[in-house]
Amino acid sequence: MSFSPELHHWLILSTILFSIGIYGVLTRRNAVGVLMSVELLLNSAAMNFLIFNHYASKPFIDGAIMALFIIAVAAAEAVIAMALFVAIFRSRKTVDVTQINTLKG
Amino acid sequence: MDITLNPADLTHTIAFYTLALTSIVAALIVVTAKRIFRAAVALAVVLICGAGFYILLNYDFIAGVQLLVYVGGIVILIVFAVMLTSSLESIEEPPSLGRKALGLFSSLAFLATAVIAFSETKFPLSSISAEQPKDVAKAVGRKLLDYGAGGYVLPFEVISLLLLASVIGAIVVARNPKRKNEGSAT
Amino acid sequence: MNELANSFAFNNAWLIPALPFFSFLVVGLFIRPVSDKLAGIVATLSVATAAFLSIWLAFDYFSAFPAGAEHPGLISWSFEWLRYEEHLAVNVGVLVDSLSILLMVVVTFVSSLVHLYSIGYMKGEDGYGRYFTYLNLFTFSMLGLVVAPNILQTYVFWELVGVSSFLLIGFYYTKPSAVSASKKAFIVTRFADLFFLIGVLLIAVVGYNAMSMFGAPGSLPDNVSAFDFSYLTSSGVSIMMNNLGLLTPAMILIFIGAAGKSALFPLHIWLPDAMEGPTPVSALIHAATMVVAGVYLVARLFMPFAASGTALLVAGYVGAFTCLFAAVIACTQDDIKRVLAYSTLSQIGYMIFALGVASATETLGYTASLFHLFTHAFFKALLFLGAGAVIHAVHTNNIWNMGGLAKKMPITNITFLIATLAISGVWPFAGFFSKDEIIASAFGTHHYVIFAVGLLVAGITAFYMFRIYIVTFLGKARSEAVNKAHEAPMTMTIPLIILAALSAVAGFVHFGDFVSVGAESGHAEGGFPIWIPALLSGLSGIAIAWFIYAGNSERSKALTERLGAIYRVIYAKFYIDEIYLFVTHKIIFRFISAPIAWFDKRIVDGGVDLTGWMTRRGGAVFSRLQTGQAQTYTTWMVNGVIAVAVLIWIFVS
Repeated sequence: MSFSPELHHWLILSTILFSIGIYGVLTRRNAVGVLMSVELLLNSAAMNFLIFNHYASKPFIDGAIMALFIIAVAAAEAVIAMALFVAIFRSRKTVDVTQINTLKG
Repeated sequence: MDITLNPADLTHTIAFYTLALTSIVAALIVVTAKRIFRAAVALAVVLICGAGFYILLNYDFIAGVQLLVYVGGIVILIVFAVMLTSSLESIEEPPSLGRKALGLFSSLAFLATAVIAFSETKFPLSSISAEQPKDVAKAVGRKLLDYGAGGYVLPFEVISLLLLASVIGAIVVARNPKRKNEGSAT
Repeated sequence: MNELANSFAFNNAWLIPALPFFSFLVVGLFIRPVSDKLAGIVATLSVATAAFLSIWLAFDYFSAFPAGAEHPGLISWSFEWLRYEEHLAVNVGVLVDSLSILLMVVVTFVSSLVHLYSIGYMKGEDGYGRYFTYLNLFTFSMLGLVVAPNILQTYVFWELVGVSSFLLIGFYYTKPSAVSASKKAFIVTRFADLFFLIGVLLIAVVGYNAMSMFGAPGSLPDNVSAFDFSYLTSSGVSIMMNNLGLLTPAMILIFIGAAGKSALFPLHIWLPDAMEGPTPVSALIHAATMVVAGVYLVARLFMPFAASGTALLVAGYVGAFTCLFAAVIACTQDDIKRVLAYSTLSQIGYMIFALGVASATETLGYTASLFHLFTHAFFKALLFLGAGAVIHAVHTNNIWNMGGLAKKMPITNITFLIATLAISGVWPFAGFFSKDEIIASAFGTHHYVIFAVGLLVAGITAFYMFRIYIVTFLGKARSEAVNKAHEAPMTMTIPLIILAALSAVAGFVHFGDFVSVGAESGHAEGGFPIWIPALLSGLSGIAIAWFIYAGNSERSKALTERLGAIYRVIYAKFYIDEIYLFVTHKIIFRFISAPIAWFDKRIVDGGVDLTGWMTRRGGAVFSRLQTGQAQTYTTWMVNGVIAVAVLIWIFVS
């Protein structure tokens, strides 16, 4: 086993980042914090695309295009999320997700 | 450690581990920082490290896009969101212990499952002789506008539509209804 | 294909029941809300058209198969409704034979006259249109019943008749007595119909099993079904069914159904109460048509009844008992409609016992029974309509509040007198011939007890009929209302006159030439001028009534006092209703229904409640998962995804 970065090292790295993102999504109280955690998830997914592109289909470029798309979707998502936060904050004076429980049955 | 490492590989390896360590620490700060603005800065660090990773993987163009859109766009947007919804100095209440435990359990369970899954899997690696296209940016551009087989022109257009829709949607959602009424009254 | 292939009336015989049905729909849904007057006219016209068609059909049929010839049963129209198996199918259709033609003519004719009469009688009543809707429904049901080519269709329309009679008896539904009367009629007949249904199923099973005796089922024609009357009544089949054993119980069960509808003892209790309905309804349903459904059913299934023997004998004795029992009660009642109701019971008893004394070889009773059905329909409808005219005029049912109406209402008086003479069996009116034939048939078949009952009841009938005639129409006026009474309007008197004419002459029809069973025409006289004692019995009844009630009213009071307790028992209708109440309330309700109700409430409902309670508690527990916190949901989702991944990994790879 070598320390020089191989496929597995990369995958473990991206999975660690993804897990941290999950933790953030599940625990952050501030909705903006949740959004940032989601950005972590998206980032690590995009990274995965590039990793596999690099190691499994080097002559092609589709993984990179997917990464581009993810970045674009993340941008759209961030815009919508920010608008939602502003709207929620205006009506409820908070963006603490534990206070927003109108789904309670 | 392999003694026959050539200097380029050694640099590569060192850069990888440095970036990895930095991004993990920064990511942890993102999810745990009490001050939300600090988390936003840490996120910027993670994303910059991400660009570094892309460079390590020889995708300079994507790294550039990452810096431009993510760090230059999305992070700034998030900072705006922070400022619009709470003061920069506001301190977030830590989550409840139960929630922390659940979150930790879930994320570790995911990590374990994923690691076990891909350590058990044999990935079809491309041959060592395979070469990356010379100019990634050029190849990406051609592929995005290619309307033949394997081309991405349709998703590309759909993405542009999505972005437009989200911009309009964001305006509609975030607009203050009271102010609109005032505008229509005058 | 047959002699009637070119007959319009035969080819369109389905119109006879269908016309009242369509009229029922149209009047009930569209005309009734708009115009009461039009509703009455349309309903009456539709039934009158049906009457015209059925008379036309009768004419065509008896032209093709003249008097004395054999009268085959022909299917005019049918379609397959249910098919259980080969030879076990149910068709809905129209059977044309002499029996169904007889009933069709009687039902449509009396029904159209009753419709016409009702236009005048019901004028100004609430629910005028509703009344005609119900009348049409009833007429349709009754016609569907009599044209049924198989016993299951009979059963279906049998129930429909029960429903429409329920609706009509309860027509004045704001009156508690009418409501309870309609419920009583419905429950009693339904109770009997339960036995009828079991009987229908049993006879179908027996008939189906008898088929195998013909050899392989394939050797029979395809369209033969065990439900068909043509199969059940064909000679040979009944005897074979009897050999299989279950025929007698099946026929007795069917007879219980018939007894319920025809109000034979001890299921007669609903009929006197059914007089709560409007009087024309009593005339139509409880005199001329519905109550003879039982007679019709026994006549229709005469062959199986005769093959069983025992069942027919049971019918004969039940009929004879009812005949006497009801006649005795009729002598004491003060309500004119109740007297007529008990007289109906008595006359139905005549018809049933006439069927009962007949057999496959001695078929005079069969003919006599249906002859009496035919004549009785006219004079009993006339009696009821006449009583209706009287009630309409003086607004009371009690005969002791009437008296001296002969001068005020001449047409009603004369027609009522004709009907009274007819039911009393005085020559030359219709009742004389049919009753004479019934008594002769009982004598001819050596059923001397039944013969004696028949003779005695002829006298009692004459007595009580003349009692009400004398008290109502002769003598002095006994109340203010009588002085203000005047003759009924034209729409009411015309039916009276038509029915009176028929009551007078219907007896001269050589009925046995048209309606009979088996090869014989059924004109086997007893070799003895039986009409002499019958006529004498009737005349002596009239004489006694005249002696007691004409002129001096002291005599009837004195008689009542001398009879004392006996009179009171009879006046209370032998306490049959009280016995029913005792049995149902004190025994059935307490010892059977109450434990069942307890079981239902505690165990069955308790089980249902337990299910509901468990579901509610479960819901309360699970609803606590719904915290409203998106992050909790996300946690579940993430762990779910992980679990799915693990499962796939375990089971797929």
